[in-house]
Amino acid sequence: MKKMMLRSLVLLLLLLSAAAVPVFAGAAAEPAEPEAVTFSLWTQEGESEGVYQWIEALADNYMAADPNVTIEVVRKDTEALREDFQTASLAGDPPELLWTVGDQAGPFTAAGLIRPVDDLYDVSKFVESVVMDGNTYAVPISAGNHLMLLYNKDLVSKAPETTDEFIAAAKAATKGDTFGLVYNMTEPFWLVPWLGGFGGKVFAEDGLTPTLNTQAMIDTLQFLHDLKFKHAVTPIESDYATMDTLFKEGKAAMLINGDWSLSDYAGVLGDKLGVARLPKVTATGKYPAPYTAGKYFMVAEGVEGPVLEAIEGFIGYVTSADIQNEMLETFKRLPGLLSGLNAPAITVDPILKGSASQLAVGTPQPTVVEMRANWDAMKPEMNAVLSGTTSPADAAANMQSAAEAGVRALQ
Amino acid sequence: MEQNSNVIISGFKWFFAPRRRSDSPFKRMIIHIILIALCVAAVYPVLRIVSVSLRPGNRLLSTSLQLIPDDATFESFRIVLQKRDFLLWIWNSLLITITTSLLGVTIASISAYGVSRWHFPGRKAGMIFLLATQMIPAAMLMVPIYILSIKLGLVNSWRGVVIAYSVSSVPFSIWILKGYYDTIPVELEQAAMIDGTTRLGAFYRVVLPLSTPSLAIAFLFNFTQVWNDFLIARIILQRAEFFTWPLGLQRMQGQFQTQWGEFAAASLMVSVPVMILFQLSSKWLISGLTLGSVKG
Amino acid sequence: MGALTAQIVRSSLSEVLGTIFAVAAGIVVLELVLYVILKRKLQWRFSLPIMLVSPALIGLLLLVLYPILYNILLSFSNMSLRRFTVERGLTYGFAEAWNNLKIIFSEPVLKQQKFFPVLFRTFLWTFIQVFFHVTIGMMIALLLNRPMKLRGFYRTLLLFPWAIPQIIAVLAWRGEFNYQYGLFNLLIQKFGGQSINWMSDPFWNYVAINLTNIWLGVPFMTVILLGGLQSIDPSYYEAAEMDGAGKLMGFRLITIPLMKPITTPAIILGVIWTFNQFNVPYFINQFELETSDILVTALFRAAFEYNRYGFASMFALIIFIILLGFSLAYIKITKFSFGFDKAGGGTPLQAVGE
Repeated sequence: MKKMMLRSLVLLLLLLSAAAVPVFAGAAAEPAEPEAVTFSLWTQEGESEGVYQWIEALADNYMAADPNVTIEVVRKDTEALREDFQTASLAGDPPELLWTVGDQAGPFTAAGLIRPVDDLYDVSKFVESVVMDGNTYAVPISAGNHLMLLYNKDLVSKAPETTDEFIAAAKAATKGDTFGLVYNMTEPFWLVPWLGGFGGKVFAEDGLTPTLNTQAMIDTLQFLHDLKFKHAVTPIESDYATMDTLFKEGKAAMLINGDWSLSDYAGVLGDKLGVARLPKVTATGKYPAPYTAGKYFMVAEGVEGPVLEAIEGFIGYVTSADIQNEMLETFKRLPGLLSGLNAPAITVDPILKGSASQLAVGTPQPTVVEMRANWDAMKPEMNAVLSGTTSPADAAANMQSAAEAGVRALQ
Repeated sequence: MEQNSNVIISGFKWFFAPRRRSDSPFKRMIIHIILIALCVAAVYPVLRIVSVSLRPGNRLLSTSLQLIPDDATFESFRIVLQKRDFLLWIWNSLLITITTSLLGVTIASISAYGVSRWHFPGRKAGMIFLLATQMIPAAMLMVPIYILSIKLGLVNSWRGVVIAYSVSSVPFSIWILKGYYDTIPVELEQAAMIDGTTRLGAFYRVVLPLSTPSLAIAFLFNFTQVWNDFLIARIILQRAEFFTWPLGLQRMQGQFQTQWGEFAAASLMVSVPVMILFQLSSKWLISGLTLGSVKG
Repeated sequence: MGALTAQIVRSSLSEVLGTIFAVAAGIVVLELVLYVILKRKLQWRFSLPIMLVSPALIGLLLLVLYPILYNILLSFSNMSLRRFTVERGLTYGFAEAWNNLKIIFSEPVLKQQKFFPVLFRTFLWTFIQVFFHVTIGMMIALLLNRPMKLRGFYRTLLLFPWAIPQIIAVLAWRGEFNYQYGLFNLLIQKFGGQSINWMSDPFWNYVAINLTNIWLGVPFMTVILLGGLQSIDPSYYEAAEMDGAGKLMGFRLITIPLMKPITTPAIILGVIWTFNQFNVPYFINQFELETSDILVTALFRAAFEYNRYGFASMFALIIFIILLGFSLAYIKITKFSFGFDKAGGGTPLQAVGE
């Protein structure tokens, strides 16, 4: 037995030597065409939504049309994409093109890792993009990424117009193991729409100073607190997976979720799925303002020459009217191309119509680095309020001091 | 109080008495019950993964404690095997894991012999160095290793991972192999050398064969380490054709959404090789994992 | 696209095996060079062990030396996202190192909490974990160390947590702490209790993290301790029994001291691994409660979420120094000798060898 192990080790070594020959021979035989251009595209789109596969198909189509161009599509987790892009830039070899969420432009411009893209597309024909110091740093692919109200028509007949109606509808639907409302109670991304509805903003006019300890924030936290404790229409704890499961199982009448989820729910619920704007806050008469961001192309600093030309070509292809329309129809994502927003599909399809109507009252998500401090400051305090351990006023004050500490740490 | 602690102590005595041939049936039953309870605790979370993998649709959660759902289906397994690149990930993982584990154990087995048998200067410092490699927070290795692999052109190739994986488990392997060699009497080697073999010949013919248990365990440990690695793989293996299973599973997760059924099915399947290995090496597991040795 | 094709099989096989062969060839060359220098030229009596040890030593240095040096370099810098390159204000020097140190000890490491509370929590975490790993591990080892039916079966099942990829196990556990659907709350409700906010309550979240890691860590310790127990000669106990010592006394007087050469390294390794355990405290803490962070998760957040590279590198060095200090002190106190005092070999054999 032991002997055999040793023999096989020796055998393995022999095998290795045989296998090594083709390696060294193969390394030299790489054909190099002089005009060939290769660039990497990193994206954070997932496979489960099907978008990643779509991007691969787009790259394949583009490569088929222009054989000189090779595009290497790499998928990374959202956070990993940011970290790895920074590290790769540090090592001097970043991927040339990114397809990612807009707020990452903040850190990337702070560190000087991406180049302006004003010369790569016609800014006037697209939705608002990331502008800093007079330069545009990102090409819009899709507009949205915004939260909206989704409801199960079996449980709620008509979308509520105001928060009073909203609470009433939620109360009426809450019975047994069915909840009137579910949302991701762990992420402040689900809090900011209401903050806008109560008239608040996370930054002062300069766009850099956190303003979290405000009456609007206290009202917002009180509102969320009441939904759970006073009106008892939400689950005790609910993260993304919980709300998602409940809504799919028909155990939640209303759900707050983003445009990325629409095609999935349309598949599960079919005609029962309703989509609408988040209801107007009765106390202020304002609509909640979810963050809008969408997905953008960003180009690494220092990319030039034929590679830049190839990238410009690929960007032009993806943002063309046909592809933008394909994205709209397949993934129910609103296009970054302004003319695409007038597409007939949007006015006909009730789901897209609801989504577009929500987008109209959304507010652009801040892209500055300081937003990280705000998110991190809001998250634990929002959770503390929703678990009943901290009062809204204390939470707002804690948020502010945490955000200020975070901003200092970012200096 | 006094009374109380006496009761506890005598209970303890009774319970943990080592190797009694004549345990009462009652006591044996209690022991079996405790062990069964512990086994349930050890296995239960895994059973829940099984349950998720059998659930139709895309549900992670369920209020039912039933392990096999009424509408159980193997659909998730089918999708993972047929529609995902699962077989590619498994092939890549198996290839890299088996080869680097063999190389790593070979390197460690040789080095451990040097540490075990000679009082060369710096030996103790060397052992502390091995220990010190375990003290570096992994998060801090990520940026430098990434930069290094970009600079050396190791990104998207197997060369970098082979080197990194081959040595990553060497510290632990040397520890257990040295501990095991220490228990082998030197007289055996001396006898072999009197019979005319060299020092290394004695190591090869006497020490290595006797050390099968701990070689097997070192291999097992290398294997699980490399098999589960995400940190280095994520940095170096970026193209889909290089994906190992941790990267593949990660890709199955969306920004917000994950197909939990498929995720669970894939998780179970990737656990199988490690479990098989554990089962195969179980007879050596207890004797081979020697961090030190009992004098006796 | 990414399917398993013969082409991919061929290319990966040849590259992997080729590299392994290249490494093996490198080792052979290294050994030859060492042989010529040490043995032929210097005729050093330790040339053989040095030759044996060098492949591992050089490989490990390759893997860790650059990262460590890089880390030290960064800890002497003010690097952050806004000072990413020298052109953008990145500077190196002792003043920067001092500044990083000052910030670590005087300002919040993350948001509100300063260094020492996090350090204390890390110590507490490490202590709880190692304590339970060793006691539960010892208990199971003692139970398994008796002749009985189904022993192999129990052993296999009890090792399950070790065989499951850690990250998958952690995600499965996180699901069990879900308020609505998790096993724990469902059980609590069944017995009429009040459901627990495992995710949002700082105390219970800390408990959840600890429970998970106890589950993960016990099997390894069990195996190590069981190995030790089985190598204790039963005649010791028989002798002790004849001297009138009780079972508990036997455990205290025989088992514990005899096991020391095994428990000492196991505890040292356990402490190091627990102290640096990232997956469990990071992933179970889904709400990012600051109160559940230990040093390495705080370090991760500082480095990758706030991109405070200089600060985080200094922070990592401090963690490293704490662990090194602990290990050296523990080795000293327990007079742990790495088995060197009795390693049969050494000198007598040398005489035969030369």
